[in-house]
Amino acid sequence: MMNFEIDRFVEAMFDRSPPYILEHVQLVLIPLGQTIPPLAVIAVFFPFLGLGYRPALIALTIYALLPIARNTLAGLSGVSPEVKEAARGMGMTEWQILKQVEIPLSLPVVMSGIKTSAVLTAGTAALAALVGGKGMGAVIFAGINFFRMELILAGTLYIAIIALAIDRLLSFVEGRLTPSYMK
Amino acid sequence: MKKSLPRQGCVKAARNVQGAVHKMIQLKKVHKTFPNTAVPAVDEVSFKIEKGNICVFVGPSGCGKTTILRMINRLVEPTGGSIYIDGENIMDVDGDQLRRRIGYVIQQIGLLPHRTIEQNIGLVPRLLKWPEDRINKRVKELMEIVGLDPQETAWKYPYQLSGGQMQRAGVARALAVDPPIMLMDEPFGAVDPIVRGRLQDEFLRLQQEVKKTICFVTHDINEALKMGDYIVVLNAGKLVQKGTPMEMLSDPANDFVKDLIGDDRGVKLLDLTRAESLLQATTSKTAKTVRECSCYIDALQPVKMALEVMMKHNSDMVGIRRGDQVIGTLSWTEIKQHINKISGDQ
Repeated sequence: MMNFEIDRFVEAMFDRSPPYILEHVQLVLIPLGQTIPPLAVIAVFFPFLGLGYRPALIALTIYALLPIARNTLAGLSGVSPEVKEAARGMGMTEWQILKQVEIPLSLPVVMSGIKTSAVLTAGTAALAALVGGKGMGAVIFAGINFFRMELILAGTLYIAIIALAIDRLLSFVEGRLTPSYMK
Repeated sequence: MKKSLPRQGCVKAARNVQGAVHKMIQLKKVHKTFPNTAVPAVDEVSFKIEKGNICVFVGPSGCGKTTILRMINRLVEPTGGSIYIDGENIMDVDGDQLRRRIGYVIQQIGLLPHRTIEQNIGLVPRLLKWPEDRINKRVKELMEIVGLDPQETAWKYPYQLSGGQMQRAGVARALAVDPPIMLMDEPFGAVDPIVRGRLQDEFLRLQQEVKKTICFVTHDINEALKMGDYIVVLNAGKLVQKGTPMEMLSDPANDFVKDLIGDDRGVKLLDLTRAESLLQATTSKTAKTVRECSCYIDALQPVKMALEVMMKHNSDMVGIRRGDQVIGTLSWTEIKQHINKISGDQ
């Protein structure tokens, strides 16, 4: 939810700025961000934010934003210029075009970014245990430390089930958000 | 069905004889140079469009016709000169507000793909915050006007319609708040020639009822001659010639206009000339020659129709009727003389 709010803001901001900023974000910043392994993200934030649940949450949130931002930008730039032009020609304001045309038309693509990000984060979240973030990661790491296979399996299976559940749920939402003409 | 109706040649004449007309749209030395280009897209173009007329901008791709159109509703801002609508400089009006008052039909139709036809047509009324029941009533009315079945199509999405139906919906959307001015950018460009012809005819008939001031962009000279009360020929951003279709055909300003019209200038002229108007020269016909005719056309039909009928009946003379009365004849020689007289050098 937090991601979605941040994203809406970023979306609105970038869309009104010169296109080159958008292009830079899309072509440089986002891919760069995604080449950093999740473990490193958590490690990078550890000195600033310390140990515990909150730092882990913040690190994961930032990491999760990347696929969402990428898909949002792709979705917005995928809205056909003719349609935007027509909306402007009808006398819609910039804000109305964003709200009533660009966002609704890019929503399916944005939603698939949210889905990718949610599934990815469900897996990555196990690493939060390394900075004291608890969760299923703690169970898995305990299993590794004590050579207890059943703990590792239990933790992994649990995460897999959560990831699958999130995927199914968000696929359903995605389906509902995709208008019939795009199916 | 359409045979009984007077053809466009006379329709236009009827529309022009409306007594006192006043200028609705006026362009004064309008100039546009896009950023990072050296050559102006529109170079000092001036003309006036009278109320209730269709003015067609015609010329090759990149001649500036669409740019001029888009400057009238401020989708593009001119870099020089000024544009007046009803005497008011459009730069004094807020762009979004101005566009809501002007109907706009674009090349690729531009219906919003995620909205139903009903929602698309009701777009501008909704922007103007009309009450919902008034919008519904108006949408239904408009769909009937443009020939879409409200029961069948209202709830459909644009992708579920045929090209012709989408064009109709585009026109309906532009007419929604009954704007006095309509801008149409190749509105019939995306359909096949048969549907295009039908849409043109229907639109001309509709225009007789609604009497809008219309700016119409096309690259097709035949469409321009058919639709226009007034034609503005453009090339490379410059105005080449302005005038009625008749003036265009009988007195093209230069070789560019001649080429644009094509080699069949004389025949096109005959399409705009009513049989009636040619008849005046031939009133001395005796009753005997009238009786010799094996075929007839209506006085209001174009002379081209006379040729058509003559060929069909293998005759070189056709009788002209007004109502039930035969009022004269036209012969092949007379038509030929007429073409030579008007187009001079041909």
